[in-house]
Amino acid sequence: MITVSNARKQYGTFTALDDVSVEIPRGSLTALLGPSGSGKSTLLRSIAGLEGLDSGVVTIAGRDVTKEPPQRRGIGFVFQHYAAFKHMTVRDNVAFGLSIRKRPKAEIARKVDDLLEIVGLEGFQHRYPAQLSGGQRQRMALARALAVDPEVLLLDEPFGALDAKVRADLRTWLRRLHDEVHVTTVLVTHDQEEALDVSDRIAVLNRGRIEQVGDPVTLYDRPANDFVMGFLGSVATLGDQLVRPHDIVLTRDRAVALAEDAKVPGSPGVIEAVVERVVRLGFEVRVELRADSGERFAAQITRRDAFDLELHTGETVFARAAHRSSVIEIDPALAI
Amino acid sequence: MNTSATTRIGLRTIALGYLLVLIGLPIGVILYRTFEPGLATFYASISTPAAISALNLSLLIVGIVVPINVVFGVFTAIALVRWRFPGRGVLQAVVDLPFAVSPVVVGVALIMLWGAGGWFGAIEGTGFRVIFGLPGMVIATIFVTLPFVVREVEPVLHEIGEDQEQAASTLGASRWQTFWRITLPAIRWGLTYGVVLTVARALGEFGAVIMVSSGFPGVSQTLTLLVHARYIDDHNTYGAYAAATLLMGIALLVLLLMTVLDRKRSDR
Repeated sequence: MITVSNARKQYGTFTALDDVSVEIPRGSLTALLGPSGSGKSTLLRSIAGLEGLDSGVVTIAGRDVTKEPPQRRGIGFVFQHYAAFKHMTVRDNVAFGLSIRKRPKAEIARKVDDLLEIVGLEGFQHRYPAQLSGGQRQRMALARALAVDPEVLLLDEPFGALDAKVRADLRTWLRRLHDEVHVTTVLVTHDQEEALDVSDRIAVLNRGRIEQVGDPVTLYDRPANDFVMGFLGSVATLGDQLVRPHDIVLTRDRAVALAEDAKVPGSPGVIEAVVERVVRLGFEVRVELRADSGERFAAQITRRDAFDLELHTGETVFARAAHRSSVIEIDPALAI
Repeated sequence: MNTSATTRIGLRTIALGYLLVLIGLPIGVILYRTFEPGLATFYASISTPAAISALNLSLLIVGIVVPINVVFGVFTAIALVRWRFPGRGVLQAVVDLPFAVSPVVVGVALIMLWGAGGWFGAIEGTGFRVIFGLPGMVIATIFVTLPFVVREVEPVLHEIGEDQEQAASTLGASRWQTFWRITLPAIRWGLTYGVVLTVARALGEFGAVIMVSSGFPGVSQTLTLLVHARYIDDHNTYGAYAAATLLMGIALLVLLLMTVLDRKRSDR
């Protein structure tokens, strides 16, 4: 388990961490999610000891490590740009932490072989990092970090430098690896899809503060505020509330819409809107609408619903929020 | 652009002619004069006690200067690239100073500082002679060769970044272990290049060294001083040619080494 209490970090006039407290349960895979400049990387690097805090306390497995250097924190760290030791072979890279610890040669050889097998790099022992692809380099970096049996594994945008396909593969692979190895893992990402896909807990950061912590489903369905809602998925403004576009139901008949809407407590009501454009995106259809108030928003409906509605540009429809959808009232202070 | 054959040949002739007159001819003349009387005469001239002593002294100075420049050069480069401290800008400028200051000025400054009556002149009373002794020549040579290692290592440090060093620290390596296992192997080509330049410059240094050396043959003459003394003082023109050829030979060897290393580096 990792705890961070009242962490503060200032770079000149920029506040990277503003009184951040968070607990990361043992064995979990937690994502620190936020836009750039939100403090997520600073938080991760403070846990690693690569960055010093102005104030606050970091504990790893019950031990106060606030004043400890990275060497004595029992961590494994994976960098966005791999940080591969270029002049060493894959084998020597992975063995580095063990050889620093002066473990017996036979033990090192066995452990390195095991790890290379886990990360799928067996047969690459004698290659140099320059001879590996980006994905392979990052898997090597993971094996290197895991070799020292870290208390916690810290990943700083580990897939950020990879192309989309490799990224998706590695994500699935990391999830499976975590299920096998069970080491407490913290992953920094700005990609909400990655966070929702791979982690079992997400902490959303914004401007040096934690907005909400919880499991992915809770965060998606019951966001604490409009920032979390907007960062985890697309949103549409319906009346004075924020709704997910896929939670908007379109109806031709006002009476039907009103009757259905009455069943939804606290709903934003029924909004009359004109269809501006219908975009077919394969399995789903995006309907771009303009409300009476002039507010533009988009609804995401299924192909089947689109067929049934037979929507055309310029027609009038009635939009409402579906039952049990996530709805956030717009903070009047933030409304534009 | 279409250049006519005449222009092309004309340009080539000018470029080659320029190089020939400025570099080729002087070297050619020296080589011709040196080997004209035969190899035995050449060998006799460079194996006199004074010549052997001069060669040894030059190599000794190189042998002292290079390790010192390596240690301080690498340290300074790391400080300039990795650390933020007050006075960093000043240090950055000071490192380049030896490129700008004439070696003769360096010699004069050293005499003012270490010579009798200088700020540190009292040290002569203890029997440790700086000026007109080996320490003075070493200090002068260090001064003029100071920038090479720093300026060759610095860009390499910039290029490799801090990631690898930080990764090593998260894996348990101390600063010292990180330096030996990660930083040093990463900068080794830049460092080698800096050392080669330092050696070449240290061998050829004349202006600063002549100011602080007593210049006794067989005692405090470096190879460059030997060439100078044989020509000017002894009117031994042939001896000067032979010593110059020896000096050139060593420099050529260093240059060759550099080219080979450079090729090796670009292969990687």
